[in-house]
Amino acid sequence: MAKIDGTAAPRPTPNRVVPVLAAVALVLVWLLDLGTIQPNRIVPGTGHGLVSAVGWPGAGLVSLVLIASLAVSILPLAWRYWALLVLAGLSLALLPLLLEVFAARHLPPDSPYARSSVGAGFWCLLFLLSLMLIEILGRLKAGRGVQLLVMVVIGGSWLVLLRGAGLESLSLVREFNAQPDKFAQALRAHLALAFGAVAVSAGLAVMLALKMMRSPAWQRPILGAVSFMQTIPSLAVFGLLIAPLSALSSAFPVLQELGVRGIGWAPALLALIAYSLLPMVRNTFVALTEVPESLADAGRGMGMSERQLFFQLKVPLALPVIIEGVRITTIQAIGLTAVAALIGAGGFGGFIFQGLGQSAMDLVLLGALPTIALALVADALFTLLAASLRPVPATA
Amino acid sequence: MRVWLPTVLLAALLGGLSVGMSVLEPLFAWVQPDTSRVIYERESFAFLLYNHLMLVVVSAVIGTIAAVAGGIFATRPAGRDFLPLVSQIASIGQTFPPVAVLALAVPVLGFGEAPILLALILYGLLPILRNTLAGLEGIDPAVREAALGMGMSPLQVLLRVELPLAGKVILAGIRTSVTINIATAAIGSTIGARTLGDPVIAGLVNGNTAYVLQGAILIGLLALTADSLFEALERNWDRHSGRVRPPVFR
Repeated sequence: MAKIDGTAAPRPTPNRVVPVLAAVALVLVWLLDLGTIQPNRIVPGTGHGLVSAVGWPGAGLVSLVLIASLAVSILPLAWRYWALLVLAGLSLALLPLLLEVFAARHLPPDSPYARSSVGAGFWCLLFLLSLMLIEILGRLKAGRGVQLLVMVVIGGSWLVLLRGAGLESLSLVREFNAQPDKFAQALRAHLALAFGAVAVSAGLAVMLALKMMRSPAWQRPILGAVSFMQTIPSLAVFGLLIAPLSALSSAFPVLQELGVRGIGWAPALLALIAYSLLPMVRNTFVALTEVPESLADAGRGMGMSERQLFFQLKVPLALPVIIEGVRITTIQAIGLTAVAALIGAGGFGGFIFQGLGQSAMDLVLLGALPTIALALVADALFTLLAASLRPVPATA
Repeated sequence: MRVWLPTVLLAALLGGLSVGMSVLEPLFAWVQPDTSRVIYERESFAFLLYNHLMLVVVSAVIGTIAAVAGGIFATRPAGRDFLPLVSQIASIGQTFPPVAVLALAVPVLGFGEAPILLALILYGLLPILRNTLAGLEGIDPAVREAALGMGMSPLQVLLRVELPLAGKVILAGIRTSVTINIATAAIGSTIGARTLGDPVIAGLVNGNTAYVLQGAILIGLLALTADSLFEALERNWDRHSGRVRPPVFR
C-alpha cells in the first residue's frame, strides 16, 4: 500500500513526532502516579508510581514498548508505520491490564470498600499513545476501513477488560456496578434529549433554509436570529426559560400533564433546539445554494422539472455538507445535554453534578467519560456517513 | 466610532445592572412573590462579574499566545512534521464537550479557580489553534515568495506579511473561544469558581427563580457585550487592512 503513494521509493525520512511523543510518555509515566488505592469512596488514596504499581517486570515492559516505538519510528524502513500501528494499537488495547496488575498487587484482600483508581501517569500514557496512534494512522494515509478496525479492536478490548473480574475494584467500575439501572436510564435520557433536539432542529432548519432560498429578504433576519441564540451561554438560556415555562404550565393544565414545567426536559429540549439551529440552518442553506448553476442548467437541459432538480440533483449534492451540519449539531447537543442536568433534565450530566456536589470524583468520571465517548462516537459515525455520501466524481 | 456604539451601550447596561440590580427589585418580587429575599446578596454582582471576566480574559490571553505560537511552530520548516498531528488535535479536541473537560479538571487539580482556568485555557486554545493554522496555511505561497524575494528575512515575512494576513481568521478564532469560555466559566460555579453562574446555581438549588434570572441576565449581557466587541474589532480590522494592504501586494 505504501508503494502507491510513491513515498516508499526514496529512503523514508525519519519521523520526528513519534519519538517526541514516546519520550514525553516515558518521562511522565515514570514521574507521575500510575494509580491510587483508596480505603473507601471519599477518603483520598495513596498514590503509587510505576514501579510500585506494577513491579519491575511491568515497568520494564511499559518502558520497552515506548523505547521500541521510538526506535522503530526513526529507522528508515518502509513498513515501520505498520509495525508502529501494531505496537501502539496493541498497547492501547491492553492498557487496562496495567490497572488489573496494579489492583491485584495492592488492593487489600479483606476490605470490600477499598478501590483502585486511575492516576495521572495512566491518563498521560493513554493520551500520548492515542496521539501516537493518530499520527501513525495519518502517516499511513490509512483508509476508513483500517481506522474503523483499529477503533473496534481497542474499544472492544477495553469493554471486555473493564467488564472482567480483574478490574472490579476499579473505582469507575464500582460506581457503575452500584447503579447500572441509573446508568442505562441516564444513557437513554441523554440520547433522547440530544437526538430529539437534533431531529426537530433538522426539520426546522430545512424549512428555514427553503424559506431563505425562496425569499432572500429573509436571509439576514433568520441567520441573525439563529446566531444570536448561539451567542447566549447555555446556563443563561436554561435559566431564562424557567420563568416563562412555569408560567405556561400553570396557565395550561394540559401542558402540566405532559410534564412541561419550568425545569426538566421541556426547557432543556427547547434550549437545545435553539442552539442546534445555527449550524444546521447555515450548512443546509450554504449547501443547497452552492450547487453550481451549470449543473442545474445541465439538469434542465435534460428535461428535469424543478422538483426533480431539487430532489435528484441539489439534495444529493448538498447532503455531505448538511450531514456535516448534523455532525456539529449532534456533538454540541451531547455536550449541552450534560449541562441541562442542572435544570433536572437527567442524562450523564446528572452524575457529573451529583459527583461534584458530593466530592465523589469517580461519579464525576462516570458522567464525564461516557459524555466524551458519546461525542466521539457521534463524530466518527457522521464523518463516516458524510464520506460515504460524497458524490463520486464522474469519470467521463 | 459608530461600530463601537453597541459595545459601549451593552457594557454600560451590564455595568449598571451589576451595580444596581436592586432597581429591578419590583420585577423580581413579581416573579418570585413567596420569598422575602429577591435580590442575590451572598456576593456582589460587580465582584462576580469582575471574577468571571478575569477568568475569561486571562484564559483568552494565555490561550491565544500558546495557540498562535503553536500554529506558527507547526507551519515553519522546523515544525512541519508536527502539522498533521497538531491540526488533528485541534479538530478532535473540539469534539470533547466543555462540561466534560471542566469535570475532568477537578480530579486532577481539585475544586476552585485553578481547574477552571486550566480547562478554559486548554479548551479555548483549540479554536484559536485551528484558525491560526487555517489562516497561515491559507496564504497564497506566491505572496510569501514575493516577500522573500523582496529581501525580507523569514521573521520579517512572518511578522509583516503572514500574521497580518492571517490576523482576521485568528481574531475569529479568539471570538469563538471567548464565546465558549464565557459559557463554560458560568458552569464553573458548580466546581467552586466565583462567577456569574453562582446566582443561577444558587437559585436552582433553592428554587428561587429571581436569583436564576439575575444571573442569567448578567451572563447573557456579558456574552452579548463580548460578541459585539469582537464584531467591532473585526469591522475595524477590515477598514484598517483595506487601507494598508493594496500598496504592499498587488
